[in-house]
Parts: sequence; structure tokens; C-alpha cells
Amino acid sequence: MSLAAWSYGCAPQTPYHTPMPPAPAVKIPPAPSSPKQEASPQPLPQEAKIREQDLRSKTPAALPPAKTTREATSKASVGEPGSGSEPSPAQPPPLADDSSLLAKITTGTTPQRAASLRLTDEGRRILDAGDPAKALTRLEKTIVIDSTNGYGYFYLAKAQYRLGRHKESLNFLDIAESRIGAEPFWLSEIYALRGENFRALGQLQRAETSYNQAMRLNSGNRTAAEALARMQGETQPATK
Amino acid sequence: MIKSKLRIFSLSLVALLVITSSGLVFGAWYLKQLEDKVTEKFEGRKWVFPSKIYSDSYFLYVGANLRIQDLADKLHRLGYFESQSAPKAKGEFRIAAKEGRVDIYLHDFDSPSEKFKGIPIRITLQSGAIAKIENSADGTELLYVELEPELITGLYERIWQERKVVKLAEVPPLVVKTILAVEDERFYSHYGVDPIGVLRAMWVNLRSLSFQQGGSTLTQQLVKNFFLTDERTMSRKIPEAVMALIAERKYSKQVILENYLNEIYLGQRGSQGIFGVWEAAQFYFSKPLTELTVGETALLAGLIRAPNRVSPYRSAEAATRRRNVVLAKLLDDRIITRQQYDAALGEKLPQRSIVKVTNEGPFYVDYLRRELEENYSNAVLTKEGLRIFSSLDLQLQRTAERALVEGLKKLEETHPALRHKGDEDGLEGAIVVLRPQTGEIKAMVGGRNYGRSQFNRVFQAKRQPGSVFKPFVYLAALMYGGQSGTKYSPDTVINDSQFTWSYDGQEWQPHNYNDEYFGAVTFRRALENSLNSATSRVAQDVGIKRVRDLAHRLGIQSSLPAVPALALGAAEVTPLEVAVAYATLANNGVRPRPLAIKQVVDQNTKVLEKRDVRLEQVISPQLAYAMNQLLKGVLDRGTGVGARRLGFTRPAAGKTGTTNDYKDAWFVGYTPDLLAVVWVGFDGPKKIGLSGAEAALPIWTEFMKNATASMPVTDFVGPAIPPDSDDGKCGPSVRDGETADPCAPTVTPAKASAGT
Repeated sequence: MSLAAWSYGCAPQTPYHTPMPPAPAVKIPPAPSSPKQEASPQPLPQEAKIREQDLRSKTPAALPPAKTTREATSKASVGEPGSGSEPSPAQPPPLADDSSLLAKITTGTTPQRAASLRLTDEGRRILDAGDPAKALTRLEKTIVIDSTNGYGYFYLAKAQYRLGRHKESLNFLDIAESRIGAEPFWLSEIYALRGENFRALGQLQRAETSYNQAMRLNSGNRTAAEALARMQGETQPATK
Repeated sequence: MIKSKLRIFSLSLVALLVITSSGLVFGAWYLKQLEDKVTEKFEGRKWVFPSKIYSDSYFLYVGANLRIQDLADKLHRLGYFESQSAPKAKGEFRIAAKEGRVDIYLHDFDSPSEKFKGIPIRITLQSGAIAKIENSADGTELLYVELEPELITGLYERIWQERKVVKLAEVPPLVVKTILAVEDERFYSHYGVDPIGVLRAMWVNLRSLSFQQGGSTLTQQLVKNFFLTDERTMSRKIPEAVMALIAERKYSKQVILENYLNEIYLGQRGSQGIFGVWEAAQFYFSKPLTELTVGETALLAGLIRAPNRVSPYRSAEAATRRRNVVLAKLLDDRIITRQQYDAALGEKLPQRSIVKVTNEGPFYVDYLRRELEENYSNAVLTKEGLRIFSSLDLQLQRTAERALVEGLKKLEETHPALRHKGDEDGLEGAIVVLRPQTGEIKAMVGGRNYGRSQFNRVFQAKRQPGSVFKPFVYLAALMYGGQSGTKYSPDTVINDSQFTWSYDGQEWQPHNYNDEYFGAVTFRRALENSLNSATSRVAQDVGIKRVRDLAHRLGIQSSLPAVPALALGAAEVTPLEVAVAYATLANNGVRPRPLAIKQVVDQNTKVLEKRDVRLEQVISPQLAYAMNQLLKGVLDRGTGVGARRLGFTRPAAGKTGTTNDYKDAWFVGYTPDLLAVVWVGFDGPKKIGLSGAEAALPIWTEFMKNATASMPVTDFVGPAIPPDSDDGKCGPSVRDGETADPCAPTVTPAKASAGT
């Protein structure tokens, strides 16, 4: 974050056609063992991606009290194995549905972003109609038109998931996260789809963690809720 | 006396018997040979189908920037005809530049994933961008349209025969009747050879004192095309007749007719021969057979006799005359009514621009071939009629070729020492163009003149990248910090002075250009001005292995020795690898897989291979953004500032590269949407004596100015800030150009460091 902040601050303040004068040669004292530097911002993170482990240690700002239903208490806590014996952190209320891509087109939207969103929506419909290969071809165009359209990457991830290409799906989700990770609804969707991919790859622990992260961000996330319920059903012993 | 006469008689008889039996045996053997030939042809593989390589399709969407001239050029290349009136037939277009409108009647287009039916559309432009696309027929607004890809070249062995095989049942009855009426009206009566037909043809030709009719049957024509040459000699005519008889004996009239309709030669498009009625209908009328009018059917049949002479592409008058002759015959034979005849006479010939396959982008095609040969044999590629869809953008390809050729020529003019002398290798260069978001290779020029040298310097030539490698050092420094504990930032002061780097019992001393050293300089300045000594110090502090590993992570695949000189680009790499590594930076830390082949489809439109966009986030978007900002400084203030002076004004990042011995000159530069790498040098050990800024940068600038002219201006955008990050409480994401996040630590803008 701090790296991003000073990066933005580092944007050139003067136009390119007035270049800086060349530095006059100066004699400098012998270099100390550790070079001097001006007061620098916070240490740069090596990898500033948000990962499940980053969220594991954080608690949300204000959470409703934990539910006392059997389902809620049987859900694993964030980052812990699905023991089902400890109460889960309180889930925030579901977020408003922000899934409409066309609703994101406003008068201020650039033509490229608008076109990219419309095309993403078309790709989504093709995907929902059950043709992920055709959807993929369409969705690849969305990022050509506007490579900052994170929703395009999300649906590319979904198309790859439906085609059974889980590693590729996870790659696209990483990119989507860097583009639209500031939007809780969509970040929740990203986590949920991540969970689906991990589950398909047999990485159940990571899947469960992802689902839980999705639920923490948006308790109304159906994909995560259903998946967790399914997993719970699979791990519980059969009753007579 | 009688005895001797008897003897002579019996000897003669024996001789006759021997000759006759030998003749019979030889005859039988010869007939068997011919029969085997006919059988093998009719029942085996009759035709070979060259594979075809296509460019990328052209995607037009509402909001896209568009120059009318670019669209017009594209349509011409696709064989569309510019009409002065509203387009009425597929393949026509009209431009109303003042009104900002383009009307196009689209071709049918079969993409691998779907079929597009040609419809009339209207594109309305406003302020240089597409404001609306609508279906002219019903007024429906469209989100986008896709123009079919251009055919770049075919892969074939000796000759390129273009055909699509159809079943007899798929050929409209009128087409069949017309062809038979013109070429062999007694087809169903004869047995392969028609003596009556020969006599009648002779009579007709004598009467008219011109060649109006041939005496060959359809079967004979088929046999001639399958097996024999065009010469009209007895030595060809006799086996032709015999084989025709054999064919008629073995196969039904339907089989013979079907083969004929698919075999017949019907025209030429550059290196492509047009064979078969289906292909001819597309070539002349841009229509399937089932949609041909009476007049078009008549013209098609009339072309068989002399396709190039009466081609409508060559002479509308000759084509019309020939069509009318055929129409008269159809009327005479009562195949059409008087009404149909009159209507057909009034049909205007389709207006067409013949577009030849010009085999452009040969270096790109070579690259494609190499990739294809990993999965497909030469036999499959030249015979099975695959369709290969690539990422190539022909417009960008031409722009790149022009920029390279003219750029190198200009260098030779201004630096006579670079000129080719005698047997010496001439000055060479290479350009590769990538779309960073997807990795698509949009253009590739592997050398100055493909005819002279097919060596592809984009992916076959390993050269030292020189200073083009330095950004990897700076990136590693930002990412890992120094082993000394230094946390690097653009304002970190580093020492640009002479020093010795000891490693593995050896010593290495980097030298600056002209042995000029600047003392305490900022990290940013050292990169912008490509200072060797400062860069080497950073590399030493970070650790050269980390630099090496990071370069690999970004996309360099060549082996890189972990030695100090690596920091200054001493290890050899290809321009394509450099392009991928920098595309990772341009794409916010996402490494794309270079993509040239997008899909391979067989003759039945079955997708054999689809290569999707493959991306992987390999460094954080924050780091990538930081590097992009630093590399923007190279163009705005540093060694790449020449690009600005030459008129390239868009937000862009880049790096010059010059090897110590001046054998290689590089420039890598990119906007968020397009990246190009340029290399200049000699193939041999000769030095060019010019820096990257002097030799490669002007070529890059010329290319990018033209290539991006119709693209929207975009700038690098920083990553979103997640809602639950440490600083999330301070607000949503910060975008470049907006006020910095007020909660972020205050950072001084780019300025000269103390003492610089």
C-alpha cells in the first residue's frame, strides 16, 4: 500500500518537455557501509497481494453477534480447520447485490470501459447459457478493449473454471483481485470462486478458508454458503 | 517352289500370331494400368487441401477509436468493393466521410466458434470514435461487429488449389443443368466418349469459324484434369478417351459429375487457383451456390471454357457476353423461361475487387510454422486444409516493416560507415510487437529483407541486451531491498562512482559511458540515465542471483549466469524474451504467454487446437506500477527522451540498451496497450558504433507514432486497494492522476537529489 502511495506521489510533476538539468559532478566522501537515504516511506512489502493468510489475522471492523444456529456453529473459524466444534465469527449482513455490470456504466464511464463492460455482460450470459468455450473467446476481447476491467478477468476465471482449467482460473482471479479487490461484493465472489477451484483441485483446506473469507466479506454469498454446507455435510458422520 | 511359298506363309502366320498376341497382351496390360490409375484416383485421395493462415479478426465496437481511412483500407484488403450508392450485395461498402458514416454489407464469415451471416450495417462516427453500429435492414443497434480475418498465406507443396468439396445433392439443379448444357449436353447418353458430340462440335465450329464448342465430354475433361496435361495431341487424347471409358464403366454418372463439379478449374487469385463450383461462387459472387441467380449461374458455367479470359475481374464486357451466350443456350434448351432469360439479361455483374494473397509477414509466418510443426507434420499442413487463426495484425505488421526498413536506410544515409560493402553483411534489425494484456504477438519483423535472409532475429538471434537488462536490477532492489539493509525507493541515494566487485576470486569493474561518474544520484536518476556504476552497486547489494531469478520470473527463458556483468546485460537473450519480460511490467505484474497461434481448425470446422490467453501474476501490481513510473521517466527525462523530441507524446515507458562494445542497439517501449522491442546491429561481429537511443529509438518512435495514432490515450493505472488492507480506512483505491491517498506517507515528487 505504501509502495503504491509513494509511487503515485512519484508521478512526474513537471511535463516531459522540461527535463531536469544534468547533475554537476561533485566530490563525495567515501560511501558509508550502509548508504544514506532520505527518510523513506514504510518498508516495501515484497508481495503486496492480499492472501488468505493476511486476512486470517484481521478481524472485521464491526460484526453482528455470531449466529447460534447449528449451521453457523458448525462452520470453521477463519483460517482454522473445519472442526465444526468452535463458534464462527459473527457474519456481517449480506451486501447489496452489485453483480450488474451494465449498472456500472454511467455518464462518466469511458467509452472503452463501457464497451468492455457490455461485452463482459455478454460473455457472462454466454457462460450462464452453458458455453464456456464461446464465452472465453468473447471475454478475452474485454481485456483487450480495457485491461483495467477487473470484471472481465473475473468472468475469464469463471469460464476457465467451467472448462476445468483450475490453475488458469486461479491466475485470472489473482488479476481480478488486483483490479476490483476494493469492492467487497466482488472480492467475496473472487474468494468464493477461488474456493471452488481449490475444491476441484482437491485442496479442501484452502477451499474452506476461501469460502470463509467470502462469507466474512459477504454473508449473502450463495456460492460460498452452499459450498460450505456441502463440505459440512460431507465431513459429518452419517446419522441413523 | 510351292513348298517354299507354304513355308513363307506359315512363318508369316506365326509372326502375325506372335505380334497379335503380344499386342493383345501389351494392350491388356496397358488397359490394366489405366484402370488401376482411374480406380486409385476415384477411390483414393482425390485432392489435397493447403492449410491457410489468417490474421486476427478486426473487432469494431461502440466506443472504439476509428479512422475512416483505416477501415476503408481494411475493407479493400478483405475484397470489399467501394460503391458510390448504398451497398446492395454482400461485399460492398460506401463511405460518407462528411456525415461520418460507413455502410457495409458484410461478407458471410465462419469463425471457429460461430457462423456470421453477412448483413448490411451502418457505422456512425463521432469525434473519431464509433458512436453507433446498427443493422441497416431492421435498425437493431449492435454492440460490435467482427470483420473476418485476412488470409495471409497458404501452406502447400507445389501449387495452391483452393476448393471446397461439395456433394452433388448440395449443388442446385440449375447449376448442374447449365453446366451440362454448356459443356456436355449428351452426358447422360454417352459412355465417356461421344462421337456424335465431336461431330456436332466440329460442325458448329465450322459454321461460326470459331471455337464455340469442344468435343470432349465431361468425363474426358475430368480425366484430363485428374491425370493428364493440357496438350492437344493424339498421345494425350487416346489415353484420355480410354480412361474416360473406363471411368464410365466403373462409376455412375452421379459420381463422375460430382467429381467434375469439384475438380474444375475456374479462375486465379494471385497464387491461389480457384477450383470447384463452390469456391468459384464465393470467389466471383461472395455467395453460397444455393443463392446464385440465373445470370450468375450462367456466368459460372460460362467461365469453365476460359476462366481467366472471361473473368469479370478482368473484363466485365467479356464476362457479360459469355454469360449472355450461355443464357441463350439455356433458353433454347428450355431450361429457363423467357421471363427468367429477360430478367437474367438485365442483371448487373457483381462489382468486385480482386484481392490477391500477397504472402505478407513472412517472418511471422515462419514463426507460426515452427509452432505448428510441433504438433502437425508437413504432410498434414500441406494437404489437410487446416485453417490457422493467428494474432497477427496486418496493419501493425506493415507499419513495423516500413519503420524498420526506412529506419535502417536512414541510419545508413546519415552514417555511411554502416553501409553494406561487397560481401559484408548489411545493417540489420528486428521488431516484435506485443499486446501486453494478452501476450498476443501482433507483428514480427525478423530482418530487413526476407528475400535475402530468412533468419528471424526476433526469436532466433541471441544478443546481449545491454542496459535493457537494468530495470530487472532496479525491480529486484524495490522488491527485496539490499543485503546491506537498504530499503530502496526511487529517492534512495546511491553512489555512482568507480568500484570493484569481487566475486568467486575474481574482480570486475563496471565503467560508465565516457568514464563519467555522477557521485550521489537517486535511484530514479540512475535508471533514467542508465548509469552503469550505480546500477552495478545496486545489483551487488541486492544479490545478482536474485536479479537473475527475477528476470526469469518476468519471462526471460535463456540461461543467465549469475555473474556481476549480468546486471549490465551481458547475457544473451532474444528480442522476443525481452518483449515478454517488459510486457509483464506493462501488464501490472502479470506475465502473459506469447500468443501467435490462436486456433487451428480442420476442414470440417472441428477445433483441433485453441490457445487461450494465459496470464500469471508474477510480481505485485504495486511493484509493476512503480517500475512503470520509473521507466516513464526514461522517456520523459532520461536516455529515451529522444522519443518525445521525435513527436511521440503519449504516456509510455521504456528503456534504451547499448552493449559495451556497441554491437547491439536496443529500445523497448510500451504504452499500457502496446509494446514494441527494436534491435539494430550486424549479424556478424561488426560494431554499429551507435547507442540504442541513436539507432533503435527512432525506429521505435516512428512505429509507435503510426501504430497508436487511432488508439485512445491511456496511462498506467495503479492497483485497487482492498477494503480490509492496513490503510483501507483511508478510503478507496487511488488512481493515477487523482490526488494521492491523504493517509499515505508524504512523498516528495520526482526531483533532483542533493548534489545531482
